[in-house]
Amino acid sequence: MIGRIRTQTSEASQFLVDWMEHRTGIVTMLEHFLYEPVPKRGAWLYTLGSAVLFTITLQFLTGILLLFYYAPTTDDAWNSVSYIMNDAYFGQLIRGIHYWSANFLMAFIGLHMGQVFFSGGYKAPRELNWVVGVILLLLVIGLSFTGYLLRWDQDGFWASVVGMKIGSYSPFVGGYVIHFLLGGDAVGPATLSRFFAIHVWLLPATIAPLIGAHLYLLRRHGVFGSEFEYTDRLAKLHERQRMEEYTRYETGEDEGEPYVGRRDRADRQGYERDGE
Amino acid sequence: MTELQKDPITRSDFLGFGVMGAIVGAILTIPPAAFVLGPIIQTDVLGESDVGTGWQEVGPVSEVSAEEPSHFKVAFPLQQVYGERAIQKEFPNSQKSRMKYKLDNAVWLSWKAPIEQQGRQGSNGDVIGKPERPAILDEKSEGFTEAERQEIMSKLNILSNSCAHLGCPVRWFPEKELYLCPCHGGLYDINGGWVGGPPPRGMYRYTDAEVRENGKLYIKHKFDIEPGLDKQQPYVV
Repeated sequence: MIGRIRTQTSEASQFLVDWMEHRTGIVTMLEHFLYEPVPKRGAWLYTLGSAVLFTITLQFLTGILLLFYYAPTTDDAWNSVSYIMNDAYFGQLIRGIHYWSANFLMAFIGLHMGQVFFSGGYKAPRELNWVVGVILLLLVIGLSFTGYLLRWDQDGFWASVVGMKIGSYSPFVGGYVIHFLLGGDAVGPATLSRFFAIHVWLLPATIAPLIGAHLYLLRRHGVFGSEFEYTDRLAKLHERQRMEEYTRYETGEDEGEPYVGRRDRADRQGYERDGE
Repeated sequence: MTELQKDPITRSDFLGFGVMGAIVGAILTIPPAAFVLGPIIQTDVLGESDVGTGWQEVGPVSEVSAEEPSHFKVAFPLQQVYGERAIQKEFPNSQKSRMKYKLDNAVWLSWKAPIEQQGRQGSNGDVIGKPERPAILDEKSEGFTEAERQEIMSKLNILSNSCAHLGCPVRWFPEKELYLCPCHGGLYDINGGWVGGPPPRGMYRYTDAEVRENGKLYIKHKFDIEPGLDKQQPYVV
């Protein structure tokens, strides 16, 4: 009884997986994105990038939740944060996660950069991934800076004033920078609106595709260079796969046709049968 | 490369693409760019300010302490996101008109203390005398004559509390007889002169100020900013 259910479930799920794979190629893609040989030594260090990804995902999720109660006006901003902290169910938890994971995000980014730097992970052909990573770092710094003002308390207010005035000392463009951020020539409602727009839309919308590019480049080149004999391992793996395929072909398990082609033919035959 | 191209781009094609591209590009980019950069156009190109240019009441000059600076709250009207000028003019009592945005800001008033001996750099090392309060203030607190008003104005320090370094609010510390900025430790003497710390200059002075018949001081939102350094100003109203 249980054995039959198990077989049926596994058949059904296998059918679903095959169906999706055939139409989207998602299984191969996931395998490609998730599985990677990792050297035993120092393996924990290679979780730092994932830690950054995890904390930034937390930022996105808790940020979306906070938007349900936050009001970006000078009259209401502080009160709405106070409401989140004191009255909303689990508000302290949600905002706490947003606040603390923002702090840890910066720490993880620092450690991640250090790990990549000291292991030489930025060298050819991975230079562009380092560049994308630095752009991501700058965007995250922008997010931290703009998020600080949104609380509209004394701490965030003066820290932002100081930050903007530092920007105003930049050569040639200083005045434009600060007038852009202020939304005029004094701190006021326009400043809060701008910081809000930059914090919740402009920077997250910029950061998301860049994270995608970062991950794509990572998977394109792999994490490890030749110092971990990565190329050798991969060559051996491919060789083994080829041998297995060859044995299957020899023993007559399949007709040597690639998987997708087989499915395609099966589907076509199915359609033709339905049509008759 | 050329043989790969089936129909090569001619000169007129190229020009057409260029002209059309420029037109379409302008249509696509100018509105959003101007929308977002509006404040830069208004402040840097048109030279407008969000802060009201009118006179604002500070307080009676007779209340300025004889020994140390006194602070007064001034609320400058701010025209930013909220507040439609036309509606405010037509319906001054409507709810929208009362939503004028104001931010309280402190102004430090003190009587000028004579510099008895010049220091090395800025006001650092200056030997400063006692603040000189005009004697007329012992007799009356309002209804000054023109000459008396001029005397009061010549002896009054009208300083913005926004630090000349990065804009934090400075506070007077009586035990040190100095203004101290809480952010990075900028120090100023009672006349607002630079004494120590990172500020590149002394405290900002309000340049447009007057004492009126009722004995109160009025100021405008204008500061002694050196030409060429106009990008550096107190941005906190």
